[in-house]
Parts: sequence; C-alpha cells; structure tokens
Amino acid sequence: MRRIPVVLALASALALTACSAPAEQNAEPGSAPPAGGGEYAVITHGAPGDSFWDVVKNGAEAAGQEYGVTVTYQGDGDPAKQSQLIDQAVSGQADGIVVSMANPDALREAVGKAVAAGIPVVTINSGADSSKEFGAITHVGQSEDVAGRGAGEQLKSAGVTKLLCVIHEAGNIGLDQRCTGAEETLGGAVERLQVDVSNLADVTSKVTAKLQSDQSVNGVLALNPAVAVAARDAIRDSGSQAKLATFDLSADVVAAIQADEILFAVDQQQYLQGYLPITFLHLYKNNLNTVGGGLPVNTGPGFVTKENAERVAKLAEAGTR
Amino acid sequence: MTAATSRADERVADVGLLRRLLIRPELGAVVGAIVVFTFFASQSAVFRSLDGIANWLDPAATLGIMAVAVALLMIGGEFDLSAGVLTGTTGLILVTLATRYGLNVWVAMLAGLVVALAVGLFNGLIVTRTRLPSFIVTLGTFLMLQGINLGVTKALTGTVQVGGLRSASGYEGARTVFAGTVEIGGSSFRVAILWWLLVTAVATWVLMRSRQGNWIFAVGGDEKAARAVGVPAARTKIALFMTTAFAAWLVGSILALRYTSVQANVGIGQEFIYIIAAVIGGCLLTGGYGSAIGAAIGAVIFGMADKGIVFLGWDADWFKFFLGAMLLLATLANRLVRRYAEGVRH
Amino acid sequence: MILETRGIGKSFGSVLALREVSMSVEAGQVTCVLGDNGAGKSTLIKILSGVHQHDAGSLLVDGAEARFASPRDALDRGISTVYQDLAMIPLMSVWRNFFLGSEPRRGLLGFDVRRARRVARDELRAMGIDVRDVDQPVGTLSGGERQSVAIARAVYFGARVLILDEPTSALGVKQAGVVLRYIAAARDRGLGVVFITHNPHHAYPVGDRFLLLNRGTSLGQYAKADISRERLTSLMAGAAELEELAHELERD
Repeated sequence: MRRIPVVLALASALALTACSAPAEQNAEPGSAPPAGGGEYAVITHGAPGDSFWDVVKNGAEAAGQEYGVTVTYQGDGDPAKQSQLIDQAVSGQADGIVVSMANPDALREAVGKAVAAGIPVVTINSGADSSKEFGAITHVGQSEDVAGRGAGEQLKSAGVTKLLCVIHEAGNIGLDQRCTGAEETLGGAVERLQVDVSNLADVTSKVTAKLQSDQSVNGVLALNPAVAVAARDAIRDSGSQAKLATFDLSADVVAAIQADEILFAVDQQQYLQGYLPITFLHLYKNNLNTVGGGLPVNTGPGFVTKENAERVAKLAEAGTR
Repeated sequence: MTAATSRADERVADVGLLRRLLIRPELGAVVGAIVVFTFFASQSAVFRSLDGIANWLDPAATLGIMAVAVALLMIGGEFDLSAGVLTGTTGLILVTLATRYGLNVWVAMLAGLVVALAVGLFNGLIVTRTRLPSFIVTLGTFLMLQGINLGVTKALTGTVQVGGLRSASGYEGARTVFAGTVEIGGSSFRVAILWWLLVTAVATWVLMRSRQGNWIFAVGGDEKAARAVGVPAARTKIALFMTTAFAAWLVGSILALRYTSVQANVGIGQEFIYIIAAVIGGCLLTGGYGSAIGAAIGAVIFGMADKGIVFLGWDADWFKFFLGAMLLLATLANRLVRRYAEGVRH
Repeated sequence: MILETRGIGKSFGSVLALREVSMSVEAGQVTCVLGDNGAGKSTLIKILSGVHQHDAGSLLVDGAEARFASPRDALDRGISTVYQDLAMIPLMSVWRNFFLGSEPRRGLLGFDVRRARRVARDELRAMGIDVRDVDQPVGTLSGGERQSVAIARAVYFGARVLILDEPTSALGVKQAGVVLRYIAAARDRGLGVVFITHNPHHAYPVGDRFLLLNRGTSLGQYAKADISRERLTSLMAGAAELEELAHELERD
C-alpha cells in the first residue's frame, strides 16, 4: 500500500517534466500561432549535435523568427527513421517540409506521400538528382561534383599527387560525388577511406594508420569540419607532410586555416540551406512563388582561404557560417 | 468433510482470481503504457489522432516483432546480441541477390531466411555445447556479422549500401505482403503492425498453452532441474535462438522491401533496445519469468515515447535525454507494481 | 522384491566408493539407508537411479538382472528419484512443475492446461496435501510442502519405487514430520520407498528395513523387529569411536 504514493509521485514527476520541457523557438501546443504564421518541418539526415547541421538549423530557425513562423528541426541518420519523421510531419499537417535526402530511394515513399497530401517539399543538401522526380518544388544545395572539381583543381595546384578522400557517412551519394569530382581534376590517384563521423577518435587513428602505411599519400581531403580537425591531428601525429583541405566550415577549421594547418575549405554555406528553404516555403504558402525554374538553387562552392579566413572566423563563431 | 472442502474451495476462488490478475508479468508494462499514452495524448492532438496512432504503432511493430522473440529467449534464460545486426544481414542478402544476381525477390527472401536460421542454429549449438554464457557467444556473432555486412557489401558493390530493389522481379507482390499499408478510417496503417500482432499471438500461445512453452519456462528457471525431469533443454534453447533469427529475417525483409535499399550498418545498436523492451514487459534478466505480450507492450511504450517527443515539438537536441528518462520511469513503475502485486500474496 | 542389490560395488578411478552392499526394497515397505557423510549413500542412490553403473555385484529389478543406461532408463522402469534440490523450478507454478517433462497433450503441440491444473489439485489432495492454490509459484511453498509435491508427482507418474535423497535434512522438526507423513502415505499406496538420511530419529518411525553404511561398506541390513532405535543410533554414530572420544574429552 505504501507503493501507491510512490507511483503517483513518479507519475506527477513525469507530468512536471512536460511542463518544463525546453521548447524555446517552438510554439507551445495549443497556443495561437503568430499572425500570418505557418508550421514548417525541417527533417535532415544529420545526427543531433553535428556541427555542420547545427548551422543549417540556425539558418532555418533564424528565418522562422524573421517571418514569424514555427520551424521544427529533426535529424536522424537512419533513413528508416527519417522516413517516419516525414510521415509524422504529414500527419501533423505541416505547411511545408524541408528534407535532405542522403538516401533518396528510402525516402521516396514518404516524400511522395507528403507531395500527394498537398504539402510543398523543398530538398536540401543531398539528393539533388532525385529532387524534381519526387515532386519537390526546388532543391537548395551545392552541386557536389562541381564543388569536388573545384577542390581537385586547388589541390592540384598545391602539388598533391595522391589524395586520401575521407568519407564519413555511409551511403551518402553526395559525398561520393565530391570525391569523384576531385578525382576528375586532380590528375592523380584518389583513394577513399570510410570512417564514422560519430567516432572522431577513431577517425584520427584510421587516418594516421593510412598515412603511416602509405607514404605516397601527400593530400587529405576531408568532407566534414569535425573530420577535418581529426585528420589534422592525424597528420600531426603521423609526422606526415600531407596537405589538408576540407569541405564545410567550423570555427576550428577557420582557426586551422589561419594557422596554416588546413589549405582551404570549400564552403557550401549551409546556413543558406536552412534559411532559404523556409523563405521559399513561406513565399509559396502566401504567394505561390516557386524559385529556381526547375533547376536547383546553388549555395556554393565558396572557398575560404587564408586571405578571407579572419573575417569568416567571426561569423563562424556566431554559428552562421 | 464436504463442508470443509467446499469452504476451502471458496477461499481459493476469491484469492486466486485477484492474485492471478495482479501477479501477471504484463501488469507493470500495461500501467507504464497507460501513463506514457496519457502523458503524450493529453498534450498533442495529433498524437492521439488516427494518423498519429498509425505513426507510432509502426516503430512499435518493427521493434515489437524482435522484442517478442528476444523475450522468449530471455525467458529461456539466454541473450541474443546478434539479433539486431542480423536484420541488416538478411536485408542485405535480399537486396543483393535480387538486384545484382537477378534472383526473384521471393527466392532472395528465402535465401535470407536460410542464412538467418543457420546463424540461429550456430548460436544455439555453441551456447548449448560449450556452456559459455550466451551474452559472450552472441556478442562474438554480432561482431562477426557486423564485419561481414560491411566487408561483403563493400567487396560486391564498392559502397556501403545496396539499393535498387524496386526494379527486381517479384518486388510488387512481396512489397504488398510485407511492406504495404492497410487503410483504416482514412489513415494508412503499415502491414508490419499485423505481422507484429500475429507474432505476439503465436508467441503467447506457445508460451502459455503448449508443452514447449512449459519447457521454455523450465529451462530458464533452472536448467539442471529441467534436465533431471527429462526436458530436452538443448533442443529448446536452440529452437529459441532460431526463433530470434527468424524474427530478425522478418523485420530485415520488411525494412528492405519498404525502403528498397539497405545500409551495411543497419540494426547495430538495436539489440539492447529489444532487451529493454522485454524487461519493461516483465522479463527477468535471469530468466524463467516473463511475457510475450509484455514485451509487445514494452515496444509500444518505446514507439509512443519515440514519436511522442517529436509530436510535442521538443527540442531535438534533448531527444535522447527525454527518451532515456521516460524509459527509466516506465521500468521503475513496472518494478513497483510488480513488488506491490507480490506483496499482496499471503 | 521390486528392487534388490547383491554385493554391489563402484569405484571411481582408484577410489573404492562402494563395496559389498546388499539391500532390498519391497512394495508397500520403506527401506531406510542410514550413514554419516561420506558413507557412500549418494553413490548408492546414483546407481539405483541410473546416473552411474555398478562395477561389481548385481542389481535386480523384479528378480531379474538389470543395468540402467541412463536416468531415463530407471525412470521408465518405475524407479523415481527425488533429489535434494528437488528438480522443481521455483518461479513456475505448482501445476506446471507437476507435469514438467510429461505434459498431457492437446492436439499436436498443445498442453492440456485445464486437465493439468485439475489433476495436480486432485492428486495433491488425494495425498492429503493442502496447497491452497496450484497456481502459486513453487518457490513460495515451504520446504515441507515442496517435498510433498515432489512425492505426489512421483506417485502420480506411476513410480513403483520412490527414492528420497535426504528429504528431511534441511527441514525443521515440524516440517520433517510433515514429510514423514507423506512418505507413509506413498508407502500405503503400494510403493516401495528408499529413504536416505543421516538422522536415525527420522528413519526409525517410518522404516521397515534399515541399511547402515559406513565408509563405503555395509554394516548390515536389519528388519525393524531386529533392532532398537538406540542400537541403530549407536551403530550409526560408531559407538566404539564415541566411547574413545568421550574418554579423550574427559577432564581429569
């Protein structure tokens, strides 16, 4: 009999956590939406806490505040879970869905259902080739082979002849396209190394091992800022003279560029991949505007080198680059 | 004599029914499920709408099929840590054979089933012959399968995923049976939910109403004693390992058919969630006690919490924290209710 | 004479665990096997129940020479053994334990649960055992109740000889009395009972024949009429040794 009060206490503790749940930028359920408002769901394949996707999230939420609309952000690297999140957004009758398609095949059904339900979809970052086919109104991102080719050219002029391309996300076609693009313009050999972005210590040891076992590698191309930092450590640890370049920015990467540890960063300006889709969906909802004319809207490549690093550094600290 | 016995019978009838209801292993899980449902339903209209229910029943179903099978094994006194990664293996076999070797989807599925049952048999034989703890043996199998999934996929395709199942022969039929949807009241419910209900019903019948079920309880409760009275302990355990393998094949095929592609790292990390769902449902970690329905309800709690957090619009960064806290509370509630129920006895 | 041993012996490697032991069990009678720890009682039961095979002498079932290849073999011949750890699963209910390994069938795979519950309840009642609820887990029964369920189970499944391995050793006085009562009940139903114990006070009231073991060999098999309780106790305790010990311990 003593147990019942304890069970009640637990149940009320549960209720209390609900009341105090952090929901800063998200509207309280049941409260009236802001005037001219809408609800947009951003569903990416980035794991929560990923430094790259955090900037996308910041962009989306900033746009939400700008237009007075509700923006929710969810990310899951498992295409099955991502697909379920899209289904949920459809059930919740979102006014628009922003989705990054690292694995377009797995998301085909879910995106199709959203389009069939009359919800406008904007794809971002990955899956540009399937965007139009699935019925999205536009794609906002960086053409990965163009960016890859750009990176390859820069590496070639820096004297790299054998390149290690570090792929940090299993099955992401876009990442593979970057490596292929680099391969096209490098004129040398490119070897791919598969790592797991959620285990950075392991990334360092894998790259170190590779550099030590193959002395002919004189260039490393990371495709993610966290991986770039891990690779920088690896180059230092292994005593290698390899040149390092990366895709995407973070405060650490910019600092490393200023310190001559990283040659350059290919910036796809992912802040825009969060900000612009909300803008487009907002305009679509209120004015039926479509952007791009059937073609994707490119947010990159931009190159951050030692010349402009300092100015970019300040912005990266704010989480907008 | 007759007056005394009839009095004794009445006494048995009263206490028996009450006690029988309270000491059921599922009771805690039911209470937990009601608490979690009320919590989310009271705050989100979508959560309790038919559409929302279809949303959270789906992960409950794919998790539930595995949780029920793992619960049976746990009642029998063993663990299977390789069950999660096996869903990836069977899915990879299905998609690879159907796309790269042009096999009919049904034939490819059959091949996946054969491999899964072989893995289950392997696990069972090693555990029963060597008497090593199943935790260790299946941990070994888990690691081996993880390596095989990645290594073979890379060797065959050069990437870490296989896809393109949509264009394989026999795809449409298989999809309807395993990955299709059923319209109820204007909302689409995944067929996986029906499979899950079927698996739970069969497992419950086997556990409570069959001779083999009696053996499962016995072998988990005290293997030596069970052997002493002639229960075929080794055969029972091997059968249980093959059951978890079968469930892994079912779930792996459902997912592969639904998403038409499989990544090499599918299922890794899920093995503990199956065990947690089974424990929420009343299974003892030491074996000999538990319930298939309880494990199914444990999976429902998981599904509701997983999707409910999203429906409430909680900040995604806090997602894992809230999921863990919710699960801890559900398991604690389960514990308390069990203790209360057992205290009621004479 | 259902079960009989003549000069039976068993060695494990160079250790002579049992030698020249002759005993007999008759239907409706209780043969008590007495001896201190290390006397060879457990080796004897293991031979009778089919766990081990004897190396010397002969084992006779119904007057004919026999050799048990396995415990299942002995079980099939109607020799049922209740071990100290009881072969009961504490978490399972009384009726599930009762029928464990010999569940009544229903259809291809089914377990006739209703029948099992009913029979378990009836059989326990017929033995005079009042278990309130056959659904309760066996682990919640007292030690004496658990023993009686095990005995009732053996009786029901048609045992002709019931071998009880130290059933009263872990029990208090009152509980032990309960078990002795059920041993008598089994005997009265026509079974032959082999009651192994190291406590002559438990053995004497219920036994018809007493076999004394000491260091692997027999000190003799006595009928109840031929031996008194005191004589039994002193034989067991090794009267001569105790005398010596008493002298040693005396203060001068």
